Amino acid sequence: MKRYRRELSVTACLSALLLVLAVVAPAFFGRQQLLTTLTAAAPVLVAACGMTLVILTRQIDISIGSQFALCSVAAGLMAKAGLPMPLVVLGAVAGGAALGAFNGWLVAGLELPSIVVTLATFVTWRETLRWSREGEFVKDLADGFQWWGLGQGRGQAVILMGALGVFLIGVIFLKKVGAGRFFYAVGSDREAARLAGIRPAAVTFGAFVILGALVGVAAVLNAVRFADVDPKTGTGLEMQVIAAVVVGGVAISGGRGTLWGVLVGVLLLACIAPALVFLKLPPQWEKAIQGAIILLAVAADGEKGKSS
Amino acid sequence: MNPPALQIRTGSRSRPWLRSELLLLGVLIVESLVFARTGTHFATVGNALEILRLSVEIGLLAVVMTPVILTGGIDLSVGSLLGLCAVCFGKLWRDGGLAWPVAALATLGIGGMAGGLNAVLITRLRLPPLIVTLGSLSLFRGLAEAITRGVDNFTGFPPSFLMWGQGYFGGVIPAQAPLGIAVMIGVGLLVHATSLGRSLRAIGFSPEGARYAGVPVGRQITVVYLLSGVAAALAALVYVARVGQAKADAGTGYELLAITAVVLGGTSIFGGTGSVFGTVLGVATLAVLRNGLQLSDQPGELAGILTGVFLLTVLAGEMAFKKYSARRVASGMLQTSTASSKPASS
Amino acid sequence: MKRLLTFLTVVAAIVVSGCKPSAPDSGAPSGAASTAGGSAAKPLTIAFLPKSKGNAYFIAARQGAEQAAKELGVKLLYDGPTEPDPAKQNEIVETWITRGVDVIAAACENREGISTALRKAQAHGIKVVTFDADALPDARSFFVNQATPEGIGNALMDEAARLLGGTGEYAIITASLTAGNMIEWQKAIEKRNAEKYPGMKRMALRPCDDLKDKAFAEATAILNANPNVRLLMNICSPAVPGAAEAVKQAGRAGQVKVIGLGLPNENKRYVKEGVTDTVILWRVVDLGRLTVHAAAAVARGELKPGATEFSAGALGTFKVIGDNVLLGEPFKFTKDNIDQFDF
Repeated sequence: MKRYRRELSVTACLSALLLVLAVVAPAFFGRQQLLTTLTAAAPVLVAACGMTLVILTRQIDISIGSQFALCSVAAGLMAKAGLPMPLVVLGAVAGGAALGAFNGWLVAGLELPSIVVTLATFVTWRETLRWSREGEFVKDLADGFQWWGLGQGRGQAVILMGALGVFLIGVIFLKKVGAGRFFYAVGSDREAARLAGIRPAAVTFGAFVILGALVGVAAVLNAVRFADVDPKTGTGLEMQVIAAVVVGGVAISGGRGTLWGVLVGVLLLACIAPALVFLKLPPQWEKAIQGAIILLAVAADGEKGKSS
Repeated sequence: MNPPALQIRTGSRSRPWLRSELLLLGVLIVESLVFARTGTHFATVGNALEILRLSVEIGLLAVVMTPVILTGGIDLSVGSLLGLCAVCFGKLWRDGGLAWPVAALATLGIGGMAGGLNAVLITRLRLPPLIVTLGSLSLFRGLAEAITRGVDNFTGFPPSFLMWGQGYFGGVIPAQAPLGIAVMIGVGLLVHATSLGRSLRAIGFSPEGARYAGVPVGRQITVVYLLSGVAAALAALVYVARVGQAKADAGTGYELLAITAVVLGGTSIFGGTGSVFGTVLGVATLAVLRNGLQLSDQPGELAGILTGVFLLTVLAGEMAFKKYSARRVASGMLQTSTASSKPASS
Repeated sequence: MKRLLTFLTVVAAIVVSGCKPSAPDSGAPSGAASTAGGSAAKPLTIAFLPKSKGNAYFIAARQGAEQAAKELGVKLLYDGPTEPDPAKQNEIVETWITRGVDVIAAACENREGISTALRKAQAHGIKVVTFDADALPDARSFFVNQATPEGIGNALMDEAARLLGGTGEYAIITASLTAGNMIEWQKAIEKRNAEKYPGMKRMALRPCDDLKDKAFAEATAILNANPNVRLLMNICSPAVPGAAEAVKQAGRAGQVKVIGLGLPNENKRYVKEGVTDTVILWRVVDLGRLTVHAAAAVARGELKPGATEFSAGALGTFKVIGDNVLLGEPFKFTKDNIDQFDF
């Protein structure tokens, strides 16, 4: 049990929040609100699964918000050009994977520090996009774009199933598949992993490529909820995702954490913003409360570091 | 990390940061030469002083961020703290009725306290600095918004205060420049000429090693984050004096600019190596880039894109240097073993 | 190796010291000359400062500004902060002072903040006009006024009251809690509400960070948390389509009205579907065009204090009251007329 202390403390935090909401504002659990909250959280969860791999290998990627925007706009433009939806999805995922591979090459190939590399790509992609789109929405998309052309109800179901699918594959991959264990091995002791026959550089590169591809998936899952694409989309996504992953118990120093914890972390952060609306708290307190929750959730098991 | 590799790296030269600074100096010179051709009035003394004037706030944050990163830490909260301090200063002066020097002192105290909060969470609870300051980034900005309900904007400061951001000594030297240079020299001496500075680097290499060597690690780290908080407060005062107003959104995103400058200046993001002088060059390179592009009538987005490109180029260049000298070291092990004991032991 | 580095340092020092002293001789005097007031031979340089780049609203204004620059044969510089940030705006103005431009036309993110820099520009002989959002009066010659905060606030509140028949609950979505002119609009809306429409009640005010996706999430939460809210008033442009999408997905189109300040192109779909009732905005392209015309006229001494009318060429003649050039009333885009506009 002690191993999963963080997972438990965050679950307790989420339960407490949901309990308060159930008493004060039961409307939070209305079907439409719940569906919107969950479909909004789905892309974050998908990106967080990829981020978990990267953080497990003791790296970080702060460029995903910019990658997300590039993939969203690309998906929108492809849909507008009349490509069928499967090709749009494929294109966005391939684009994301390529962006991830670029980061991965710099980090794993050239051995540059990931935080700085992704800081650089974060600015570069965002500014390039701003330069080329100048803030203009991608409008007049084909009808088959929003909700995959399936209508709202079924479209939402597809989004949720997609995110859940990615999550479950991730859980099985990390737990049951040999290659999944490589990420933990490289993150906890690179040298030992190498001696055990793992190629740390290849694993690290793989983590960035998978993250990029998943960001592409997330971008599509998010974009199909709407009828047009805002090129500023994904601003601040990196903070949201990293906070969710870390709050969910993945150690920033690598090698420790589970996707179940990440799931709870994503849900906790996804509930805070709408919860504040339901609790009728003044909006100027929002950022302070968010910061305090992150610090509290992390501080709750901070003492653990001392004993080990 | 892996200490053996690091030792080889430091061993290859007594001051390993020097080469990244030279690389950066080259970049700075090349961009200056280019802008001198393309920019209108770029190569003038007036413009040089103006660049200096506009980079004091980022410079303050970046210079003090250097020791933070040297210890292997990071402080993401400085931009938000700048906003919080600006608002607190305005509140104390206008609503608290304090004279501005008193309010300014109190603001420096608030900055120190906020830095202390980061320090306590990092040293007492042993939490990673990245996570702690990610949380306090939200917290400080949130408090600034809560204090002002987002809408309050403090203005109408007395001329004796505004002078520090808008005035010129002798009509030429911007009033905030001596302040910035003094802090730069002070922190530079602290980092490079005192035992505290050496112990900071030791912590960056290996906190456990430093602890066994008798370095009071917790106390040193506390000092560094306290300084960072005070610097954010000082930058807030300069900001308010320059812009003439204090509002909750002041300093948004400044943390990334400061970190970019530090890393560009050759300080290793993992801690252990780096210099304040390099950071100053980093700040200058970025400031000249923004200024020069604008004077050449180029769009601002290009500055962002080139910042990323510079960052990657300088890092890759540094890595190439490192690999080259590591190969040299491998062929001349004897020389290395005598040199490597020097920086690590103190 | 060491020797090579030393050599490089020396070369660098020579280059630096060599290029610095020679420069002022060539740079400074010509700067004084160009700011002293455009001689007939040189075309005017007009610097156009938006609140932030990458914002469709200012792209539309720029479109008009460029058209006017072509009409007048002036050089137009367009630059601004990538995010709305008063300190960055100052920095850009300061650099333009160094560069030497003839006129600065600024949309001010923050009145007090930018005025410091604009006054400095005036002291260097640069003419200043403002548009979209004003600076302090002593920091500019003219303000091209598209609508006063009261005008905007009243138009929004009146439209809200009209749609709800004078009584009901509504909510506001704004960009951020700190954005300068949105705060003024909120105040004007509140004042109008208190004075004229006691039956209208504001239930929530939420920021959307100027992001459409976030506005959607906020709008959904507002509607579910306050089931009696009958109208969403959006005072930043990405929030209008965001809120409309939320109402549509909640299946409450028609029951919950959507109005706001936004661009016609981003809202056409929802206006035609009947989700969004009214989009209020001035003709932004004309605003940019008029601003550049006014800026050029100020620099050439054609628009002076005391004027009561200003003729902007093909664009038409505009009223001048005090030091404000008036663009005219805010415009209401509805189902009937929205197709006539493309910006």
